[in-house]
Amino acid sequence: MKTLTSKEKRKMTKAEIILQIIIFSLGFFYAIVYYVRLPVPVLGTGNLQSAADQLFTYLTAILTGAFAIGIINLTRAHANNVKNRRPIWKYSVILLASMYFMAVASIIASPFSLDPQSTVIPKGVYAVFFSIWQFLYYNVLVSINATLFSLLAFFIASAAYRAFKARSLETSILLAAGLLVIIGQAPISNLIWPGFGTIRDWIMAFPNTAGQRGILIGAALGILAFSVRRLIRYPWGR
Amino acid sequence: MRKMDIASDPRLTYVLLILVIAVPILTHAVLPVPVTDTTRAVYDFIENLPPSSLVVVSFDYSTSTVPELQPQATIVAQHLFLRPLKILFVAQWIDGPALTDAVLEAIDRGNKIYGTDYATLGYIPNTATLIGMTADIQSFFPVDTLGNPTQNLPIIKQFPATRQAALVITFVAGEPGLSAYLQYWESRLNIPVAAGSVAALAPGFMPFYNSQQIIGILISIRAAAEYEFLEHAQYSQVPIGLSGATSAMVAQSTSHMLIVLMVVVGNVAYFVRRRGKERSK
Repeated sequence: MKTLTSKEKRKMTKAEIILQIIIFSLGFFYAIVYYVRLPVPVLGTGNLQSAADQLFTYLTAILTGAFAIGIINLTRAHANNVKNRRPIWKYSVILLASMYFMAVASIIASPFSLDPQSTVIPKGVYAVFFSIWQFLYYNVLVSINATLFSLLAFFIASAAYRAFKARSLETSILLAAGLLVIIGQAPISNLIWPGFGTIRDWIMAFPNTAGQRGILIGAALGILAFSVRRLIRYPWGR
Repeated sequence: MRKMDIASDPRLTYVLLILVIAVPILTHAVLPVPVTDTTRAVYDFIENLPPSSLVVVSFDYSTSTVPELQPQATIVAQHLFLRPLKILFVAQWIDGPALTDAVLEAIDRGNKIYGTDYATLGYIPNTATLIGMTADIQSFFPVDTLGNPTQNLPIIKQFPATRQAALVITFVAGEPGLSAYLQYWESRLNIPVAAGSVAALAPGFMPFYNSQQIIGILISIRAAAEYEFLEHAQYSQVPIGLSGATSAMVAQSTSHMLIVLMVVVGNVAYFVRRRGKERSK
């Protein structure tokens, strides 16, 4: 297969041309609409901004479809595990059962219920499913997710001993600043010396803010450049 | 028996960390917490809001950050319910509505009536809804999370659009979150924004605080403890321990000190080894 170089221009097919025109139009449409407010009736709306918002709701439908594809793929993959009795097939059964049970319970009785006022679903059924959903959500899901997130604390603790070394001047300054912020953030530091809080506030307000501003501006410009390149399909032909 | 060495076996570190966290929590130790300016700014702003002002509370976090942000949301919601304010609860993350219900269950709602003084609108699925509700809530939220038509809710009749909000406070653990409110509510409509943030994101929000684009930041569970002390000092009926944050402060202090100790010991060991190698050369 021939490898394209940056100088070679690959001829686009008709379908690619149409797709690129749609991407270009919609991308720049949104960019322009942010700055220009014209009372131009588009898509049955009163102005460009309303038209842009209307298009955004279609995006929600597309994203929901992507969600559905994910669920279908997950089901296919794990159903295959069960059908072929792969070594982890029992975990696949648990995954599929819990996924569909939570989905059904959420639809029947939860803050996301399709019938929150129980006009169609019998009140008794609603109450049973709601108590099961509450137990699974608050006592199982919240606890498991919080536990997984808390594992980070153990990684940081062991990394603190092994990786946070003052190997050069720059890393020493970084390490010192990080330690001062960690100490200042701990309430007990106020009992040791109130100045730790002042130092922490200064580091957060000045060096940190300066660095974060640079990162924010740099990231924004990078995203802008990448987006424009994507919209105009530069380098050409890729 | 093999000699336990922290460098090769991190389990000693893990055991120490478990002990310094578990012992303070199990003994219910409480530590007074000095209040930072970023927390006080949020408290004072809410405390000085005129009566009947609309506050929008946005739950933009999921179950994994509940230990850090739920205490903030609980104590701030309690403060809002103690004041004569109107409150709308929304969420940019899918877990938001369920976490909203948990907060409302945990606090004392006093004489506030659902539909008149507060309402839960639910999940904001996209930016179009976030922008659109500043002009017309009913079009984008025809029903609330309880299935009530929003056109029948007195609070929506009083405030048909969120552009009339005196404050939006977002408890945020990522995107979508603060940036959406800054872009579409604060910059266009000058609606004051406050943030309750996880510790990892707080440094990134400091530029917005310093440029006064956000009126204050609640940083991690420590801010919840600070807020709780402030609230208890003004409203004695609010018990210390309502949010659960104050009992975590000793554990947070000891775990932070352990990490500082690990860094210092690790560096001392590094320099001793380096000097040994240089000498042997």
